[in-house]
Amino acid sequence: MGEAIAGFFAHLVSLSNPLWLYYPLCAVVAVVYKATKFDDARKIALGALHFFVSVSLGMLGLGLAFYLISRYL
Amino acid sequence: MTRAPLFLPGPSPVIALVLGWVVPGGGHAYAGKWGKALLFFVLITGLQVAGLVIGGGTVVVWRLWLFAQVCAGAPTLALYQLSQYFAIHSPIDWADRLHEMGTLYTAVAGLMNLLVMMDAYLRLAYPPRETEEDA
Repeated sequence: MGEAIAGFFAHLVSLSNPLWLYYPLCAVVAVVYKATKFDDARKIALGALHFFVSVSLGMLGLGLAFYLISRYL
Repeated sequence: MTRAPLFLPGPSPVIALVLGWVVPGGGHAYAGKWGKALLFFVLITGLQVAGLVIGGGTVVVWRLWLFAQVCAGAPTLALYQLSQYFAIHSPIDWADRLHEMGTLYTAVAGLMNLLVMMDAYLRLAYPPRETEEDA
């Protein structure tokens, strides 16, 4: 199990993986979405950071879960 | 006794919606929110151009994605023509993951612009009331 998780992260951080391009996309979505909700620059920045981190962690968790399911089932 | 005017002077929400489609952020510029207009223009147009570059210039083609991509404004129509030109000279590799990612970038740019257009419309149609804290 530990080896599988390590393999998942090794694949994820390899520079040839186009999933790297997901991060700028998520950052733009976060800033645009929060800018439509708030007018204050500080609230936009903090909200966008929170949005970016929570979506990234959520996607990472989902990715890891699907990877383990596909490997062991 | 004074009566409320029948027509309130000021920017029209429908014009803001249309301008928001013509140029990303155009609706906010029309509503006087220049900072936000610039932010939306840079981010949405940047996302669109980045998607086009990542996908090899052939991402805005006649597929279901086009319905999302075209929400990013009138420039998408020019990108559509550009993609047709590139597709003639170099066949599209549909299995290429970078092409997929480029398509995703441009489609998300369109959906984000739809959100921005709606925001510009709603700001003018239903202006937020000033609370005691804001005043």
